[in-house]
Amino acid sequence: MTRLPLADMDQQPERVRQFIERRGNLNVLRLLANAPNVFGGWAEMVGEIFASPTFSARLREVTILRVGHLQNSPYELAQHVGLARAAGLSQQQIDALVGTRDLDAAGFSSTERTVIDTVTELCTTHRLSDDTFAAAHALFGDEALTELLMIVSCYYGLALVLNAADVDIDAVARFQP
Amino acid sequence: MTRIPFRRPEDMSDRARELTLERGNLNVYRVLANAEKVFNGWMQAGQDALTSPVLSRRLRELVVLRTAYLMDSAYELGQHHDIARTAGLDANEISAVTSDSGWQTDHFEPVELAVMQLTTELLTTRGVTASLFDQVHAALGAEATVEVLMLISRYAGLALMLNALDVDLDETARLPNIPQRTAEG
Repeated sequence: MTRLPLADMDQQPERVRQFIERRGNLNVLRLLANAPNVFGGWAEMVGEIFASPTFSARLREVTILRVGHLQNSPYELAQHVGLARAAGLSQQQIDALVGTRDLDAAGFSSTERTVIDTVTELCTTHRLSDDTFAAAHALFGDEALTELLMIVSCYYGLALVLNAADVDIDAVARFQP
Repeated sequence: MTRIPFRRPEDMSDRARELTLERGNLNVYRVLANAEKVFNGWMQAGQDALTSPVLSRRLRELVVLRTAYLMDSAYELGQHHDIARTAGLDANEISAVTSDSGWQTDHFEPVELAVMQLTTELLTTRGVTASLFDQVHAALGAEATVEVLMLISRYAGLALMLNALDVDLDETARLPNIPQRTAEG
């Protein structure tokens, strides 16, 4: 049961209302709308992550599901399972990302596996070994690796907010990337 | 040793350069500017957090230092050890916040203790007990509670990026004090 009131959309500043109309009338957005001074920048950041052509939707959803699982966020998983499926991930792959099936047997590409291993090490140890960094850097280079870290950072942090406030999973509303 | 090159301000877009220079041209910004397609939004989110008047600078620095300590971010600790001094925290208070349990003393205000407890519980267990959450909410109200959560969120995520890229602490440059917006915005 969500531990804070969810903001009333009619009371919101124009930029908050526009973002929510575009991305979905989600409990998480109505929670964050309690803090209008910091909503706008956060919303711009999310918009840029989803507008960027650097990663395929599939690789982005691999990253988000893995972070959502490691951060123990049922809300992020509920919102992103559908997007992951739409981006071409199989049920077996989704199960593997959320820890209920074997990653090795899920048929991920070597690029996807590098992402999964990098994200797993970073979220569980808070750093990257030289070898893990080198593998990810060789694959992505400076710009894309940093952008990958931005996605991890965004969802790792958001999971903390969602868990702290115990935000209810939306009955039907889903995030529009 | 920072694992990727710094982006030079002269090679950034106008807005990225403006946001970077306004905040002291720090290593953290020049590294993250490599992600040029998402950098401006991330910087704007930071500017919003720094300029919102909802949290006092003192409470903000307590949250940031506690997060930096629990996320093991030498960079965040190095920057905010000095910034906190300008926000009214003394050396003993800073040592207490950046220790396992030294902060648990009645030297701090009840609301500061509750916020540090929430930060600690959230970062170590990924959740917060309902009674503690309600205590913080009752003391701060909904808006400031969400800002505290967003602050933990931002600095926890940033710590991952800084650690992953092993960003060197700036020798002397520190985040300048950005004036808070007035209530009228």
